[in-house]
Amino acid sequence: MTIVKKALPYFLAVVASFIAAGIFIALMGFDVFKAYSTILFTSFRTPNGFIQTLLKFVPLVLQALAFTIPLTAGKFNIGGEGQMIAGGIGAAVVGILFSSLPAYLLLPLVILGGIIAGAIWGLIPAWLLYKFNINEILTTVLLNFVALALIDYVCTGALRDPGAGHPTTVAIGVGGWLPLFMKNPPFHAGIIIAILVAIGVYIYTARTTGGYELIATGANPRAAGVFGIKVRRMFVLSLLLGGAIAGLSGAIEVAGVQHRLIEGMQSNYMVLGLIIGLIAKGDNRVVPFVAFAIAILEVGASAMQRTLMIPVEMVFIVEALILLFVLLSDVVRRK
Amino acid sequence: MDNQTILELTNVRKVFGQTVALDSVTFSLRRAEIHGLLGGNGAGKTTLMNILYGLYRKDEGEILHKGKKINIQGPKDAIRQGIGMVHQHFLQIGNFTVLENIILGTDIDNRYTMKTQNEEKKILDLCQRFGLDVDLNTTIDTLTVGTRQKVEILKALYRGVDILILDEPTTNLTPQEVDALFESLRVMVNDGLSIVFITHKLREVLSVCDRITVLREGKNITTLDRKDASEEVFVRAMVGDKMDIENSIYFATDQRSSFVNRLDQAAAFEMSSVSFINKDGIPRLKDVSLNIHSGEIVGVSGVAGNGQRELAEIVTGVIPVSHGKILLDSKDITHTNNQELFKTGIAYIPEDRLHDGFLPKANVAQNLILGHHRNQPYSDGNFINWKTVFKETREQIKEYNIKTSGPEDVGGNLSGGNIQRVLIARAFSMPSQLLVAHNPTRGLDIPSMDFVYQKMLKRREEGYATLLISEDLDELIRICDRIAVIYRGEILGILPRSEFDKYAIGRLMSGIKEENPATEEKALP
Ligand SMILES: Nc1ncnc2c1ncn2[C@@H]1O[C@H](COP(=O)(O)OP(=O)(O)OP(=O)(O)O)[C@@H](O)[C@H]1O
Ligand SMILES: [Mg+2]
Repeated sequence: MTIVKKALPYFLAVVASFIAAGIFIALMGFDVFKAYSTILFTSFRTPNGFIQTLLKFVPLVLQALAFTIPLTAGKFNIGGEGQMIAGGIGAAVVGILFSSLPAYLLLPLVILGGIIAGAIWGLIPAWLLYKFNINEILTTVLLNFVALALIDYVCTGALRDPGAGHPTTVAIGVGGWLPLFMKNPPFHAGIIIAILVAIGVYIYTARTTGGYELIATGANPRAAGVFGIKVRRMFVLSLLLGGAIAGLSGAIEVAGVQHRLIEGMQSNYMVLGLIIGLIAKGDNRVVPFVAFAIAILEVGASAMQRTLMIPVEMVFIVEALILLFVLLSDVVRRK
Repeated sequence: MDNQTILELTNVRKVFGQTVALDSVTFSLRRAEIHGLLGGNGAGKTTLMNILYGLYRKDEGEILHKGKKINIQGPKDAIRQGIGMVHQHFLQIGNFTVLENIILGTDIDNRYTMKTQNEEKKILDLCQRFGLDVDLNTTIDTLTVGTRQKVEILKALYRGVDILILDEPTTNLTPQEVDALFESLRVMVNDGLSIVFITHKLREVLSVCDRITVLREGKNITTLDRKDASEEVFVRAMVGDKMDIENSIYFATDQRSSFVNRLDQAAAFEMSSVSFINKDGIPRLKDVSLNIHSGEIVGVSGVAGNGQRELAEIVTGVIPVSHGKILLDSKDITHTNNQELFKTGIAYIPEDRLHDGFLPKANVAQNLILGHHRNQPYSDGNFINWKTVFKETREQIKEYNIKTSGPEDVGGNLSGGNIQRVLIARAFSMPSQLLVAHNPTRGLDIPSMDFVYQKMLKRREEGYATLLISEDLDELIRICDRIAVIYRGEILGILPRSEFDKYAIGRLMSGIKEENPATEEKALP
């Protein structure tokens, strides 16, 4: 099939969801065209808009990959949020405890702390699955709640910043901050990490034997097992990788954006990550592009709320509708 | 159109991407007939019937039901018109009972209490009328494929269909089950039902069908009455002149010379006193000893479910040996895992192609390297060399005559027989000390069967060992050097080619052991 043919259903889905949401916007008494031009072009009108989009892209692409990598092996990781929080906690704790270390030591430690903490959060469901065959959907979801409790504990406990009005820890050492390309607006180097991860994931899944085994496991675990692939290990590995990447997104949030751990820093990134992953139909290669498109919408949404007073939720509806229409186009095409 | 005709498809065309699956096909079905649908792999049989059953939309053409044009949008419409279908790979709910599976999706009388006596009575009635005896209260998981097929037929009958489509219903049945099925079909036809019967086995067609339609590469070639038909006519119609019947093994009449058993040589493969006890503690293989020499084809014959699957999986390292010892090239491989085995010289064609051997969501290239994906030239152990893989895949698509649009085609798009060809290509394309082939020609058309036999004989000439596990006795007799008969997990006897005798083997297959077996395993070193 040609690229055009493949892209067509996406295009139609986007158009259809814009029309559907447009009707609502019009009914609510807003100017549809103004709303949409704000949503679509904010990212490209000013350098600031573009930078905001790139910053938004970082957690979105990482969360989506945290979902699609296990999905490649046929496992559902709905715990990206918990893993991101765990990663944030790991990064913040390391950053605070060793705050006096120089940057060339502290920054890698902070990032690594996030990755490891996220990986551990992914490893728990993986181990339960491996050992006791407990469904990973259940455990990953439940661990989100555990992580929420944990971040509350950390942010109100010993590391708390008493001066802040919101549950927050004290700042991590300056050495742990991600370097900035630009001070105003602050544009941190997380984008480089995210792009490297996306490329790494692409190389791993599309080029390596391990990645092939991951795909084969997802395509038919029984057949993969018969032909010598250690399927259960692939399950564990996939959830571990997913957790590590989600953890990384938490670490970047701490080291690049907040410079401390703040309750609520996970935002709604996981849900958006799921939507991105599903729109991309689980294809790791497509994820970065969809993530970028969603980042544009998200940035446009905030601008729209600021200038036109249309609630940001409208864009969330658009995103969900896109997903719905993409899935629908699959059903229609099957015959 | 005569008044006998109840269903007619005219000028049906269906295109998938660039493949023309059906090209102006015409098909008519009379009342109370069994109509055979024949054709090579990928000829479009399943597609045509899927259109009739509403699973695919046709691009062109018409469907006439009792002379009236009908529009079928989905299986629900089809059933409303009295058309039912039993698929090649059907789906049932494993932990539901037979009864529940049958009535699933239909209205029941006592909707709120879920009391199903009325339904049960109706089904029992059908069972009796058509000689389909099934216990309605057992769960599906515990049943054999043959019985599950009956459930599937009952499901259609229960919905009151008068046209029943059976897509390769006999591929997974034992000969006894096939006979029983045919008897039931006859009763149905006498009752006024019409049946479309897809198969690759000419003998079945000749024994049970009233009329036969042959498809070739999406076109219909001919429709014949049974009395005008013979095996050769069909083969000619199905493959054109492509097949060299004189040199085929399938039609061979001359006796092939038996393998000269160089008994002085060590066997290439040797299993001694191997047992396997399954998870539930039931012994499935008992004290099995079997050896295969280089350049020998050893067959394993038996009624399905007597331990063949376990034997295949033990040899290929999929399941662990409970007791005993296995040697390959004098190396102990008893506890070697299957990943190692595939690397060091075992190839495998599993019986259940869709579950055990195929990745429907992956593409053809990815399917072809499964199990060999860590070996040269496909991979250096860390990275897969897709360029080589694609090149090889293209060559194999040609050599093994796989009908597909290319290496990137999704596996699930292939027809049943073409999926089997992928498995065959995978197993033969890599050099292997031992090939374990379990019902390798299942679902293949005759030229492809012949091709597989040629390939096996080539292995034999090149001095490689082959273990052919098959339920098709004719197949075993055709190409094996020795045949071992398995019954309830035990090898009851091993016969050399000179002593092949259908009746002797048949007796052993049903567990009757002679007093003084001349050819026992112990006679061999
Ligand atoms: N969903 C699909 N998408 C693309 N191609 C398809 C699809 N279904 C069938 N085809 C193609 O249409 C052709 C006919 O397939 P079909 O399954 O009807 O063959 P068949 O006669 O049933 O063969 P077999 O004996 O192997 O079961 C094949 O080339 C197959 O690859
Ligand atoms: Mg078919």
